[in-house]
This record gives sequence, structure tokens and C-alpha cells, in this order.
Amino acid sequence: MKLHSKTILGLFVLMALMLPLAASGNKFFAFVLGMTFISLLWATGMNLMYGYVGLMPLMFAGVAGVAGYAMVHFTRTLGWSFWLAMPVASLLAAAVGVALGLPSLRLKGFYFTLCSLVIQTVLTLAFIFFPTYTNGDTGINQVAPPDWFGGELTGLGMDMMLAVVAVAGVLFCAWLVKTPLGQRFVAIREDDVLAEGLGIQVVRCKIIAFFIVSLYAGIGGCFYAAYVGFISPRAYDVLVSMNIWLFVAFGGRATIAGPIIGTAILAPIPFLLQDLQAFKDILSGVLIIVVTLMMPGGIYGAYVAWRSRQAHVASDGDKVQEQRV
Amino acid sequence: MTDAQLLILLSTLSTGLILGAIFSLVAAGVTIVYGCVWLPNASNGQFFLLASLVAWTFTASLGWSSWLAAIAVIVLGIGLSYLLEWILIRRLYDTPNRNVAYFVVTLGMTQIMTGIFSLTYAKWSDQFSLPPVVDGISMLGPFPLSNNRLLVMVVSLFVLVALFALLRYHPYGRALRAVFQNREAAALRGVDVRSIYRLSFVLGSTIIFLGGILFALAYSFDLTVAWTMSITAFAIMIIGGPGSVIGALVVGMTFGFTQAIVSIFASPTAATFSYLGAMLVILLFRPSGLFKR
Repeated sequence: MKLHSKTILGLFVLMALMLPLAASGNKFFAFVLGMTFISLLWATGMNLMYGYVGLMPLMFAGVAGVAGYAMVHFTRTLGWSFWLAMPVASLLAAAVGVALGLPSLRLKGFYFTLCSLVIQTVLTLAFIFFPTYTNGDTGINQVAPPDWFGGELTGLGMDMMLAVVAVAGVLFCAWLVKTPLGQRFVAIREDDVLAEGLGIQVVRCKIIAFFIVSLYAGIGGCFYAAYVGFISPRAYDVLVSMNIWLFVAFGGRATIAGPIIGTAILAPIPFLLQDLQAFKDILSGVLIIVVTLMMPGGIYGAYVAWRSRQAHVASDGDKVQEQRV
Repeated sequence: MTDAQLLILLSTLSTGLILGAIFSLVAAGVTIVYGCVWLPNASNGQFFLLASLVAWTFTASLGWSSWLAAIAVIVLGIGLSYLLEWILIRRLYDTPNRNVAYFVVTLGMTQIMTGIFSLTYAKWSDQFSLPPVVDGISMLGPFPLSNNRLLVMVVSLFVLVALFALLRYHPYGRALRAVFQNREAAALRGVDVRSIYRLSFVLGSTIIFLGGILFALAYSFDLTVAWTMSITAFAIMIIGGPGSVIGALVVGMTFGFTQAIVSIFASPTAATFSYLGAMLVILLFRPSGLFKR
């Protein structure tokens, strides 16, 4: 029996929208859930780049940081509404992402990853050394939650909003990879020279991908700032990029379910280890190594492989029975 | 030239030589492993720091002399390299495009080691230093240089020369360079590629450990040196050309002198910034580096 993938996606949407209601009684669980939704949005964007286009953008968190700091600047200094500042800041981050990505377009594999790591480091240093906008290493605290028709969007309303945003991100990604553009992404991942030969404009596709992915990062960065209420260079540093990458790789790259599984399992862990942040680093380091060496397809990839083996065994069994008959 | 100018010149020269030799050593360790195994060791800074910290433990807690600690750390380092190769590194020897996978694995190792250091050494002290190996001061004209730093300078330059001789004239060095150039052809000529991979990883890591000890003998250090060293070694490797040992030497020496000169006017962080910028420029416009191997 095979469940239709649309049914599964529908079930996920229903569950994601129900969960904030279920968790609303307990502030701690509600907060962990909200953070998981933000991570899910980020992981979905990372999956688009790492899973479908086949590039590993380690500057992801840095781009999210650009949006986060810009949003805080717009709402705090210029007095804009969150709902104006968020899109503008995200578009700004997307522009920055494209501008930073442009020169690295011709790099592939390790060189792209290294270049993105250098860019991430530069962004982190910029957050520290330009305190006019970022307040340096101290960070900015008491970021106001989003405004909502005169009041403020907090508690259950904010959790629902995060759920809606994350679900929208997942659905958009699921839709995008089915379109011709998404299939071009996969063609570029598999062999960009061949893709170029087939008439795909590789550079243009990559720029579009950079734009969309940076938009994911930026929107997540804005909601992160408004939800947590405190941002610092640490909130957007390379460890965050690596973590988001781990959610994708652990769950299963280039699938819609993979990042959801990976985020649901891994994103809550740091909050359960609250006082033991160093253990969190060690744990995620171990997981990164295990995933890379032993399960390159992630959990979902392993599940798919297991199921196809089962199907194989089952059909072989049928054949044997037929022969007996 | 006045005495003051001569003093500054000699001080810059000695610092530049020590730093340059240590940078070149670590970068050579990284670049040998990358050129041969295709493993970009992002955790080189943590290896470097690990060696310094373990040496500090031996001298501060066990009361060993720096000599003994240095030798013990090198022996332990060789053991650790073999262990890592056996557990992790050899699993990806035959994977295509393994440099990305290796990069990710070493980033994971960086996270693990950073976590361990912040749970242990960060709680014990903020600033670490080893007792000097030899006492006394030599006068170079008007400039006083401690015999200890003089020794570090001589040893690191000697190791660098020995490394070159090994790669150029020893049969292992020739086999290593053959695998650098063409793995299949080397295998056809009877080179055991996997054992050359193992040897290269162990040699490269040991050189990095050695660099860490030499640095700890010459200067006091804290935990941030890992991060700085990682960036510096990668920048040297990329700018010098990945896999090019002569590139590592030339660029490493240049960086050492840059750091020595910049440190007179500004903080060493400014030097790290300029390395990042230089690496970015080379990555974007000339990914094969200045010295093609």
C-alpha cells in the first residue's frame, strides 16, 4: 500500500497547524515549537540549495542575520511596522545574498563551500565590528514582537503565525521543485556542463536559486529576531549554518520530507540541553560526521532504500510462489 | 640607521621568521594532505591548539620539562593521527568528490573539539604558556632575543628544510608526489596508494601538531588561536595553490612577516582580516592559486 504524497503533505499541514494549539498550555513547549518552525523554514531553504541545486551555502545564517539586523533597524530607528520591515529586510538580504553569490557562481563543490564559509566569517566579523547597526558583540535585546492591528502578536497568535509561515515555505518548495525551474535545478546539480549543453541557462538559474534561498534565510532571520527578542552575532554565525545544513542532511537532502524529519528530531535538542551548550556542539559535530560517513541519504533516504529492498524481497517472494504453483 | 630603527627591524625580522616558519609548517601540513588525499583539514587550528594545550597540561600539571612534553605530544599526535585515519578518514578514500565530504567531516571535528575545549581548558585558564626550554638571552647587536625563541626559530626552519628534503629526495616523497599528480598512474607503477594516503595524513597532522608545540614554546596563547590559525592556514593553502608545498612556504613566510609588521601598528586581528580578503580574491579570480603544482 502506498500513501499518496499529497495526502502525506496534507497531513503534515494539518498537524503543523494543530501543534501550536496543543502546545499553547506550556510556555516552554510552545517556545521550542516556535523555534522548530523557524528552523523548518530555514532548513527548507537550505534544502533547495543543498538538495536541489547541489551547492552547500555556509553563509546562510549570515544572510539571515543581515535581514534580522535590518528589520530591527527599520522597526526601531525608523519606526516602521514589522509587516513592512520584514519584507523589505528580506528583499535586502536576498539582494545581499545574490551580490555575495554572484562571484562564486563559477565555483563548484569544495571551492564553493569554502568561499561561502569565508563570506560567512566576513559577515560575522562585520556584525561584530559595525556596532552602529548591530550593537557589536553585546547584541540587541528587547526586540519588539510583530505589531498586530494595534496590539502585539505574541503567545499563541505568534506560534500560529510561525506555523503558517513554515508551512507556506514547505508548500512553496514542494511546488517549486515540480516546476520546470525546479527540474533545471536538479539538472544543474547532476551535471552543470551537460545542463549548459542542453540549453539551460545555468548562471541565470543559479542566481534565481540564490535569490529564493536568501529570501528564505531573510524571512526566517526576521521572525527569529521578533520571536526570540534578542539577536547577537552568535545567533547568526557559522555554527547556525552548519546546524541548518545538518537538519537537511540528517533528514534526507533533495526530498520534501527530509528537512521536516530532520528539523523535528534535531531542532528541539538544544533546548533540552539548556545549560550544556558545549554538549550541543559536540553532539552536532558527532552527528555531522556520522551522517556524512554512514548515511549520505539521511533518514528519509535510508527509509526509501529500505522500502525498495522490501518491495524487491516481496516481489521475489511472489515469483517463487508463482513458480511453485 | 639609528639604534631604535635597527631594534624595530631586528624585532620584526625575528618575529617574522618564527611566525613565518610556523605558518609555513602548518600550511604545508594542510596542503600535503589536501594535495594527496584531497582532504581539506578545516580542523587544523584545533589540532594546532590541541598540541599546545596537551603540552601545557604535561608541564603545568605533571611538572614535566618542555622538552619531554614536546616529545610526548608528538608521539601522542602520531598515534591520534593513525587512530583518526583508521576510524574516519579511510572510509572515503574511494568516493568521488570526496573533498566536500571531508571538509564537512573536519568541520564536524572542529565542533567536537571546540566543545571539548570549552568544557575543559576554558574553565581552567584564559592564558596558557609553556616554561622555556633554555634560559638566557642572546644579543643580536642592540637587540635582545631570548635563547628560547632563537631555538624555536632554528628548530622550525630546520623542520621546514627537512620536510622539503623528505618530499624531494626520499622514496616516500617521490611516491607522494606521484600520487599528487596522478593516482591511477602511480598505482600502475606499483605505488600502494592507500598506504601513501595514510602516511600523508599522518605526516600532515604531525606537522600541524609540531607547529602547535613550537608556537606554544615561543608565545603565550589562548583558545582563540585555533580560529586564527584555521583561517591563516587555509588562506595560505588557497593563495599558494592547493597541494603546492613551495606555495605554502612562500606565502606562509609572507604572512609571517605581514603579521609581524602589522602587529607593530595595529592588532593582529587586522592581519587576519587581510588574509580573509586575500583568500576571497584568489578564490574568485584564480582558484588554482599562485603556484600551480
